[in-house]
Amino acid sequence: MFRWTFSELFAAPQQLLASVAAVAGAFALVLFFEGVFAGESGQIVALIDKTEADVWVMQKGVGNMHMTTSFVADWKIDAIKDVEGVKKVTPILYLNSVIEAGGRNWLSFIVGLEAGDTRAGPWELASGAAIPGPGEAILPDVIAADTGLAIGDTVRIAGREFTVAGFSSDTFSMANSITFVTMEDLGDTMSSIGSVSYLLVDAKPGVDAHALAGRIMDQVEKVNALTRQEFSDRDFSIAVQMGLEIVWMMTLIGSALAVLLTGFIVYSHVSDRERELAVMKALGVRDWAIYLSIMTQALVIGLLAFGLAVAVVLLAIPLTDAFAPKISLGLTVDALIRTGAMAVIVSLLASIIPVRRVLSVDPVTAFQQ
Amino acid sequence: MTTPIVQASKVVKTFGAGRTLVRAVDGVSLEVNAGEMVTITGPSGSGKTTLVSMLGALLRPTQGAIVIDGIDIASLSEAGLSALRARTVGFVFQSFNLLESLTVRENILFPAHLAPGGMPAAAPHADDLLERLGLGKRSKALPRTLSGGEKQRVAIARALINKPKLIIADEPTGNLDSKSGQEVLMILHDIARDQGRAILLVTHDRRVEEVADRILWLEDGTLRDRKQESHDWTNDPVCNMRIDSWASLIFSDHEGVRYNFCSDKCRDRFTADPSKYLRETQLAEQSEERKP
Repeated sequence: MFRWTFSELFAAPQQLLASVAAVAGAFALVLFFEGVFAGESGQIVALIDKTEADVWVMQKGVGNMHMTTSFVADWKIDAIKDVEGVKKVTPILYLNSVIEAGGRNWLSFIVGLEAGDTRAGPWELASGAAIPGPGEAILPDVIAADTGLAIGDTVRIAGREFTVAGFSSDTFSMANSITFVTMEDLGDTMSSIGSVSYLLVDAKPGVDAHALAGRIMDQVEKVNALTRQEFSDRDFSIAVQMGLEIVWMMTLIGSALAVLLTGFIVYSHVSDRERELAVMKALGVRDWAIYLSIMTQALVIGLLAFGLAVAVVLLAIPLTDAFAPKISLGLTVDALIRTGAMAVIVSLLASIIPVRRVLSVDPVTAFQQ
Repeated sequence: MTTPIVQASKVVKTFGAGRTLVRAVDGVSLEVNAGEMVTITGPSGSGKTTLVSMLGALLRPTQGAIVIDGIDIASLSEAGLSALRARTVGFVFQSFNLLESLTVRENILFPAHLAPGGMPAAAPHADDLLERLGLGKRSKALPRTLSGGEKQRVAIARALINKPKLIIADEPTGNLDSKSGQEVLMILHDIARDQGRAILLVTHDRRVEEVADRILWLEDGTLRDRKQESHDWTNDPVCNMRIDSWASLIFSDHEGVRYNFCSDKCRDRFTADPSKYLRETQLAEQSEERKP
């Protein structure tokens, strides 16, 4: 029976491929959507991850960057520098705002850097200056590619005009982008005097980041300190929560589509093989054995479809980067496990559809011409 | 002493209910013994398939009893019937019914997974059957590449793999050319004679008369024994050909009388204008009577 299950399934490779491709389409839809969501969420924490500070210090009661404001008095910079294990402290100003560039509005994290600071600046430069000067801004290269914006052009940030001095890479997503200006310019815009938003703390070699964050909170009043990983995880989870319902809805739609497709394929398969099933029953094969065989076939189709969907999305990642740079596509292990489990559940559900048909096959029909 | 492998006692099978009730098999009793080859013949719609379905444990009778290898099938559940079929009955079908995605050897071995020991235990037997039935060189071939005769030999080997006591063959020569048909009949005959298996054959093939131990005639759901040497001669009213009404399968009923024909063509001519041929028959009979 086991042999028949697989021989029969692979007997018509073109038909199998078409079936697998159809189901893979549904899984790819789910993976793609989750991938876009993961990519977008990943870009929201890009500044935290890519600047690689060991500890982030912020206003007490603040634990995020996304959709948050933080004010830390600038005198605390020296206080933190005095904490044991601190190698360097880099302050930034931060504003979540809209920039007007190339005739369009773009949601952006505006990061104000100290003059000449490269520590918190762009981690990958596409063209132009790496550090903004007074009245200058460094924008994501995707905006330039999308609008034709060039170095020397003017953009408006929080109501004030800036000259484009350079373009950074890996700083754009559809939901968010990162723009760098000087701290002085951003301070003027925000009317922020004597305070910064966040402090990037680098630890001395061998110092545990978690312990250092604890010492900073103990020794410097009214600040919160989080390791890079903690800070990044918090922001990432906020981003995920914001889109969770949409992701679940898409997963549900994709799953339902996959169940229907797999069910239809398996049902057609059973209908096409009705005579063989009648012969098997006549020879003494029990209904449950036939059903188990069909369930195995559905499972193989589901898992092959899942594999194909993963391959398609993996292929889509570099293609998206090349041809649709505005889309940030990422494939997380969580999404893979979730969709893989979904493929198994979908297959099991789909194999229920032809049960009635299997049970109704009359072995006596094996005698018919 | 002969051992009955299958016994049917006053078996009735009805389908439908009330005004649509059909008695497909009506009070049939028979026994088929080990080593015996019994043929059931009869016109289309006479209930042959229903009868052999019951004798092969595929259907339960509405009334009466069927005992296969000492087991009354009425006492068995669906699972029990499946197990009995797998163990005791081998089937050979007119349209071969091989599993198209499996090779010849895999087809032969297929029912073995339902028997104790499974396929590994049956593998040597499968190889032996392949050789004995002249399929040794075709063991890895797929059914679609086989001739009709080869397909039927594979089907016979599949029916034999679990060494069943009863083999039911439904029109095993129906889709074969003359030579292959003869070959299949001889194989079945040898299986009954040499291996002591009971063979129940449903066929219209006249050549089976040469090899069958008994020929049973089923008509309107009832069975009658037909001696091989018995004949009931009559004449085709259209072409006047002499016909054995016991064996004739082409007939037409007119005003309560059954007329047998040599061919569909003669029957069609008759049914188009029965009075013409009956008048001619009558005139011919009168002319015969006037002869001195």
